[in-house]
Amino acid sequence: MLDGILAGLATAVMPTNLMMVMVGCFVGTFIGMLPGLGPISAIALMIPITYGLDPSSGMILMAGVYYGAIFGGSTSSILINAPGCSSTVVTAFDGYPMAKKGQAGKALALAAYASFTGGTLSAIMLLIAAPALAKVSLSFQSSDYFSLMLVGLSAVAAFAGKGQVLKAWMMTILGLMLSTVGIDKGIGVERFTFGLTDLMDGFSFLLLAMATFALGEILFTILKPEPDTSAEESSALSDIGSMKVTKEEIKEVAPVAIRSSFLGFFVGVLPGAGATIAAFLSYGLERNLAPKDKRDEFGKGSIRGLVAPEAANNAASSGSFVPLLTLGIPGSGTTAIMLGALISYGIQPGPRLFVDNPEIFWSVIISMYFGNVVLMVLNLPLIPYIAKLLAVPRTVLLPMIIFFSITGVYLVSFNTVDVFIMILVAVIAIFLRLATFPLAPLLLGFILGGLMEENLRRSLMISDGELSFLWERPITLTFTVISALVLITPILLTAFNRRRAKKTVFVDDCD
Amino acid sequence: MQSTPISLLSRDRVSGLIFLLVCLIYGYQATQIQLFPGDEYEAFTARTLPYLLTVAGIVMSLLLIVMSPASPCNDSTCEQQGANESRLDWRLLSSFVVLMTAYGLGLTWLGFVLATSLFLLGGFWLLGERRKAVLLGASFPFVTLFWLLLTKVLDIYLEPGYLFLSF
Repeated sequence: MLDGILAGLATAVMPTNLMMVMVGCFVGTFIGMLPGLGPISAIALMIPITYGLDPSSGMILMAGVYYGAIFGGSTSSILINAPGCSSTVVTAFDGYPMAKKGQAGKALALAAYASFTGGTLSAIMLLIAAPALAKVSLSFQSSDYFSLMLVGLSAVAAFAGKGQVLKAWMMTILGLMLSTVGIDKGIGVERFTFGLTDLMDGFSFLLLAMATFALGEILFTILKPEPDTSAEESSALSDIGSMKVTKEEIKEVAPVAIRSSFLGFFVGVLPGAGATIAAFLSYGLERNLAPKDKRDEFGKGSIRGLVAPEAANNAASSGSFVPLLTLGIPGSGTTAIMLGALISYGIQPGPRLFVDNPEIFWSVIISMYFGNVVLMVLNLPLIPYIAKLLAVPRTVLLPMIIFFSITGVYLVSFNTVDVFIMILVAVIAIFLRLATFPLAPLLLGFILGGLMEENLRRSLMISDGELSFLWERPITLTFTVISALVLITPILLTAFNRRRAKKTVFVDDCD
Repeated sequence: MQSTPISLLSRDRVSGLIFLLVCLIYGYQATQIQLFPGDEYEAFTARTLPYLLTVAGIVMSLLLIVMSPASPCNDSTCEQQGANESRLDWRLLSSFVVLMTAYGLGLTWLGFVLATSLFLLGGFWLLGERRKAVLLGASFPFVTLFWLLLTKVLDIYLEPGYLFLSF
């Protein structure tokens, strides 16, 4: 393991890779600050750039962008109450009231320190948990993988949000359906190509990711125009006040940051849970743990309320890398994009990654830590300058982002048909968003589809077509039971709640 | 007492119906996937996963149709929904879709520099930008620099447009 860590460290400290971390953090911070664009869009926009890099550098760049985008989202949450992504919504609860009190600088500094604590602790936990889990998963067989993928897909759907579980499943199935388009890799026959040569290779991951999360997001912003906050944000950043944090304040928030980091990491490890749930949970936990007088400050500019979600969402972001790197199962939409990118490099994430490509495995983990350092040491003081970029009017910024999205796909394939398919997919994505269908499960289903089919094929072949492979091995049985529970519980809960609501309405009517 | 009009076709039910249709078409197309002789004895063929997905998709869409409530359309939520929808700028979106499609065609016929510059110019204009310095300054010079970066620094070959190939 030590050899692997040293190889990873050697890769991570290469000047190119250090530059990737810095560039990633800056670009991520900038994109994350733009309301409406979060880490997933930022990473999607980066994919075409990483295609020209070696896998380690590409992953390091994406990890930097991920952290930067979360940090950027926190910045716009604190300053103008416009979270760039859902995981920083909670940050605005107390960060924005602090900014209104003239403590924007302090809020930004606290958010950065909390993120740093979350990032540091989670990097240490990742260092311990990932190899341990990777070693265990080396004994996995096809049936275990198949059932594990079922857990991943069903968990992502289950955490989709109230009233969206069924829709998330539908999107997962749609993603799996899209993954079956093209020549079947196992048997070699064409499926759903309609004789079109452009569909022989199936849909491109890059195209789908860019169309749904980069182009789709921007077109949605155009469809649903929000007031242009760039000037407001820029002026808010020009005078943010002192960034000094007193010793008493650090003493008060240190245990909060540590607790939230642990909670965030473990929530992040769960497939599908992610940074948003971690942020909400830690905020709720800290409010309950706070003494009475401090509890009343929550929502009015409490430093505990700001630090808790910031530490938790950063730790959860690292945590979500555990299932990605060790099992090859992405825990969120963002890590799903990274999984797709790794597969595009010809690298299969999972337990073998730890054995076959230790330099990638470890360099990503180590550079995540570097990313945290860059964010705190370089990004925080530079926030007012980065904000100058936000002064670019949206009338210019939006067409530029559309141009980068389209060109990103075009410059990989040099095929204008891809541009037209991308536009079509982006328009469909807009309708899906309007009908409140979550898009991350679609991408997850699409990415895992091929692997899932391959493992199902092998499992069925080995068991001679019997479904008994689902319960013959203890690991498979455990995963199968978990995925069944995750699938059934939300439906039962919805049906139960509806029944109870109906009963209540009936009683009300009687009254 | 005034009764509340109930629309049986709520948005979720329509979505469920569309998804059901997609699943049925997918399922039909799955039956058209070529099988090799002897495949009928195989535990897993190219049709297996598509069949499973079709069944799962149909079950899910039926569940959505059955479980989603009908929408009563005179309460405040409907008014709110209507107000939200009226704020959607479909005309601007359609204009951008047309512009992007034209850009896709332009890449082949006009080449990268001209097509991209015109696309950016059109995009700025559609979003309300009228300052000539911005319209022209952020399109042609920016794209030319980007083209130089791609072709001279990164050594990426960009084919000239069909219109210029004859010259």
